[in-house]
Amino acid sequence: MSSWLAEAAAVFAKDWRAELRTRFALNTLGLFAVATLVVVSMALGPIGGAPNGPSVLSAVLWLILLFAATAGLPRLFVAEEETHTATALRLSATPSALFGGKLAYGLTLLVALEAITTPLYLAMVQLPVASPRLLLAVLLLGAVGLAAASTLVAVMVAQARARGTLFAVLLFPVLVPLLVMAVALTRQAVAGEPANVGLTQLVLYDASVIVAGLMLFPAMWNP
Amino acid sequence: MPAIEFHDLHRRFGRVRVLSGVSGGAGAGEVLLVTGANGSGKSTLLRCLAGLLAPDKGEVRMTVGGRVLEPAERRRAVGYLAPDLAFYEPLTTAENLAFFARLRGVDPGRGAALLDWVGLPHDRAAGALSSGMVQRLRWAWALLHWPDVLLLDEPLANLDPPGRKLVSQLLAEQLERGAAAVVANPAPIDLPGSVRRVELAG
Amino acid sequence: MHAVKTVLAWGLWLWIALVIAGALWWAPPLTGFVGGGESSRIVFFHVPMAWNAFVAFIIAGVASAMYLKGRAPRRDAAAKAAVELGLVFGVLATVSGSIWARIEWGAFWNWDPRQTTIVLALLFYAAYLALRAAVADHETRRRLAAGYAVLGLVVAPFLFFIAPRIAAFSLHPEPVINTEGEVKMDPAVLAVLVSGSTAFTALFFWVHSLQCRLAAVARRNGLEA
Repeated sequence: MSSWLAEAAAVFAKDWRAELRTRFALNTLGLFAVATLVVVSMALGPIGGAPNGPSVLSAVLWLILLFAATAGLPRLFVAEEETHTATALRLSATPSALFGGKLAYGLTLLVALEAITTPLYLAMVQLPVASPRLLLAVLLLGAVGLAAASTLVAVMVAQARARGTLFAVLLFPVLVPLLVMAVALTRQAVAGEPANVGLTQLVLYDASVIVAGLMLFPAMWNP
Repeated sequence: MPAIEFHDLHRRFGRVRVLSGVSGGAGAGEVLLVTGANGSGKSTLLRCLAGLLAPDKGEVRMTVGGRVLEPAERRRAVGYLAPDLAFYEPLTTAENLAFFARLRGVDPGRGAALLDWVGLPHDRAAGALSSGMVQRLRWAWALLHWPDVLLLDEPLANLDPPGRKLVSQLLAEQLERGAAAVVANPAPIDLPGSVRRVELAG
Repeated sequence: MHAVKTVLAWGLWLWIALVIAGALWWAPPLTGFVGGGESSRIVFFHVPMAWNAFVAFIIAGVASAMYLKGRAPRRDAAAKAAVELGLVFGVLATVSGSIWARIEWGAFWNWDPRQTTIVLALLFYAAYLALRAAVADHETRRRLAAGYAVLGLVVAPFLFFIAPRIAAFSLHPEPVINTEGEVKMDPAVLAVLVSGSTAFTALFFWVHSLQCRLAAVARRNGLEA
């Protein structure tokens, strides 16, 4: 028993010693906590709208998608780097085609997730949806923006350390405009509360991120 | 004529200078053999030539058909082989090569033909291959697109004697075709074609 | 050349000293603020800090784009220095703003749109620096950080124009100079505000150039940043 304790204690001590030398995980975790707090507050706070059912639930719907993306989408490139298949890919694929393929894959993952969560969300809101077409549009356009930004950030994070937390830390500030717009428009689609922002701005955001992604990706993927 | 040349390449990792001004090249049918101790920069050099790593200073030029290739073109044009090159483990050897053939716009039948050439089963999952078989798969992958320049890092690693004979033959055929090759190995090895050797100091 | 720079540096310090004096004594307090408006003197520091924090954002984005184009290390150093300074100025702006918010509006934090955008800028800066810290190879680090800074610049306009429109309210005073090109404030206040902004911007660029020169020296000696 005592040797088991000694071993566990040795692992504990080693991890803390290594961590204090670089303070890397601590810093990134701390930043992750702050970023998460800000994003959640923004979705639920004054910009998120008055605290009522559709309001809070709209924010929760998008926060769920955001966190699911954070959990699942880094894989797009981290898996390639970890299994060392990235080298073969770098030497064979046209970067923009790779970006397009990965983006499509991430997008379908998100849409599948929305297909599961949205009915649940609607059941909880218990309102007749004021504008189903708007809701569908927001869900799709929001997923596109989320997928595009995530794909670009994923390729950066795949070449760095502390990938899980770093992904969220990098993604959240970039995604805040999308989040804010999507939450407001979802609320409008469901409860009819005017959003003061239209689908146009959402489309513009998506287009900007996709264009930025297509232009930046080659330089992020290859030296 | 296909050729690859490099001038005054420098590359450091942190404070360690791995490449400190190395130059060389190989023309059609020629082999440049790069030897040196562990850590002397052989792999780093090959990665710079392939475009997987950007040198801090210096130039890499690959010429095909009288034209110098852009770095992005060079990356897709070289035939690269290295010990850390890996494939998709859930997919079979044939599926792996078919995928890369599709990426490169190469006839999908080519992958199957190469697998036969190197003596690999088509339906074995890449994750279930022995290290020698993976090395043969690397050779098949490197030659998928008829590359004019071959960058081979430890090309004979993990191969049994029949395997070594096989790939030497493959290399000889490529050189006869007019390809150029830069080969890195810790110790000198027997290679076909006209071989020049350069030793990297640590 | 060195003499000119020393004179300029001393000039800058003198100028800043005058601005501080003007802010604290010469300029009259702003009307319409809590408790006789003495607390409003914070504006002479808060505004330049916030302004420079956003200028830093743009500099980082542009320098990063230039780095990706020509891969000159000094561009990357300029971007990094801008981010570091932006972080410092941004924190000062947030703190000075929070103090004033407590006095004027009763709470340190209200999720006012302007408050929110500065926090997001700070998050961006911290994320950029975290990314740099997470990449071991110098070439990869410069490339990825530059990409992130450019992405931030692309996304930033949405932040600054969307948030105020969606927000239910704004506590920040209306921009007094910008809206109609007419100036609606006391000339003395305006004088201190403008000269203060210029002074702090000059300070920003001076420190930025020092950071860049330091980075250049480090690069020449094979040390890393």
